[in-house]
Amino acid sequence: MPFRSNRTRQRLSDVLVYGVLVAWSLIIFFPLYWLVITAFKGPLSTNSGATFIPWVDFTPELRGWDYIFGDNRDVVMKPFLNSVVVSLSSALGALLIGSMAGYALARFPFRLGPLSNDGIALTFMGVRMFPAAVLVIPLLIMYRELGLLDTRVGLIIAYWSFGVPFVVWMMRDFFRSLPVEIEESALIDGCTRLGVLRDIALPLARPGLIAVFILLMIDAWNEYTLAVTFAFTDAVTIPLFLQQQNDLQLGTQWWNMSAIALLSLLPIVASGLVLERYITRGLTFGAIKG
Amino acid sequence: MILPAVIATAGLVLYPLLFTLGVSFTNWHLFFPGVQFVGFETWSHTLQSDFLPQVARNTVVFVLGTVPAQYLCGLIVALALSNVKRGRAFFRVYFLVPLMISPVAVAYVMGSMMLNETVGPVNEVLRLLSLPRVPWLSDPNWAMFSLIMIDVWHWSSFMILVLLAGLQSLPQEIYDSAKVDGANSWQTFWTLTFPLLVPFSVTAILLRLISAFKVLDIIKVVTNGGPGRSTESLTMTVIDTGVRGGDLAYGAVMAYVLLVLMLTFSGIFMLVTRRWVTSAQGGEERRNAI
Repeated sequence: MPFRSNRTRQRLSDVLVYGVLVAWSLIIFFPLYWLVITAFKGPLSTNSGATFIPWVDFTPELRGWDYIFGDNRDVVMKPFLNSVVVSLSSALGALLIGSMAGYALARFPFRLGPLSNDGIALTFMGVRMFPAAVLVIPLLIMYRELGLLDTRVGLIIAYWSFGVPFVVWMMRDFFRSLPVEIEESALIDGCTRLGVLRDIALPLARPGLIAVFILLMIDAWNEYTLAVTFAFTDAVTIPLFLQQQNDLQLGTQWWNMSAIALLSLLPIVASGLVLERYITRGLTFGAIKG
Repeated sequence: MILPAVIATAGLVLYPLLFTLGVSFTNWHLFFPGVQFVGFETWSHTLQSDFLPQVARNTVVFVLGTVPAQYLCGLIVALALSNVKRGRAFFRVYFLVPLMISPVAVAYVMGSMMLNETVGPVNEVLRLLSLPRVPWLSDPNWAMFSLIMIDVWHWSSFMILVLLAGLQSLPQEIYDSAKVDGANSWQTFWTLTFPLLVPFSVTAILLRLISAFKVLDIIKVVTNGGPGRSTESLTMTVIDTGVRGGDLAYGAVMAYVLLVLMLTFSGIFMLVTRRWVTSAQGGEERRNAI
């Protein structure tokens, strides 16, 4: 075996490691960069060919932003408002419904036919995996009867189909990792079960709740399949709006589209980066346990 | 406490699941009156059409094109990330960004803008290098390739995250003893790291496999199933023909074809990998025993 000093070997591996990381960083970076610069372009700097660097091969303009905040403000803001309402309420609702069940599955023995607690929790997780395609037809028929088509309420409820099972699965594990003793002594002191859940278990499980809530928010904010099925004009969310714009003005008004797209991902990415440690925890936790 | 979650899940997932199966044995069409039970008629029509094999093939090609590539990218970057000494926190957070962006926005930036054949930057760079322009979206094979590329950009981050969590959970001592035994890093990877990582790899791949089968959003934005129907996925058929076109029975059959394909592939994958997972766990137990 040829002898190489440890130092050379170390340097070689460093070069390799940083090479990979920088390469992947650039791959991630370029589409984001392209989105940002296109949001500040105009017809001159897009239609005659690609331009790459502001102030060098094109002059930045604010057309796209004029479009959003000018006369079209109401058209653009409606889907934003819908997305905020739908993702907040569906996440909160799923969290409420799901964490109760998660708590119960963590603390009391259940039997559902042949299934005990582990089986029930696994069933919830399995349910989350079903493709939306097998759910949309009955939901469409139900929604038509109930007048829920093209409403925010309809979307909020539809999003529980993946939200609730996810919360049950995740929160059961978080609750199981909490010590039982505190709760037991509170019960002896005369606290009710719901009181224990509200005053002791939920506050202790806060990191888990935050992680799950953020992941639900992101999922709902970006969801497309159910939105395209159940929303047409009034309840249109951002991804749907973006896609409709894309179909309408493909290749013509990219600066408008890019400004809208950029605006749509800013709030979620900004809050995501602030709460990054919760996301990482939630994602890896859910994935590994799942 | 568990009841609301059970009701939500049963009402939003399990009941629709059975209802869809029921619909597939009728001739239910939203725009034609009269629903009749027709037995396997809709099924045999659909299964004999030329269209089903094409859409099913598109979906499978997409899955087999994206998931292994995502795993490979994810593994390489995660390995680099676990060996990095400075800046790990930065890279980890930065690589999280794609996961927070909606697929529609990603598809718009990369598909509609960057891969635009006349004024997109990718073809512009190829032109500067005096290479021929690539028909990214107008050629059926290239269009599928473009979609796969976009999905790989978007979801490799998920693999990175899960595999990095796996790598960081591996005990340091075994690496020290491997070093004492004189193993080089290539040998260490194949005899220690990779086998120990199997449970994480299997879960991450399984989750991506299931999601990839459901693909709709990026196809809708980038190619809308075209050129022709060369990139149409099963979910897209269910939504466009089944729901939007009103042909519920046909959509129900297609949805079940998707479900069966998805279950078959993930079932085979789980069967094939189960041996490795248990042997990895066995190895862990042996190590703990020592």
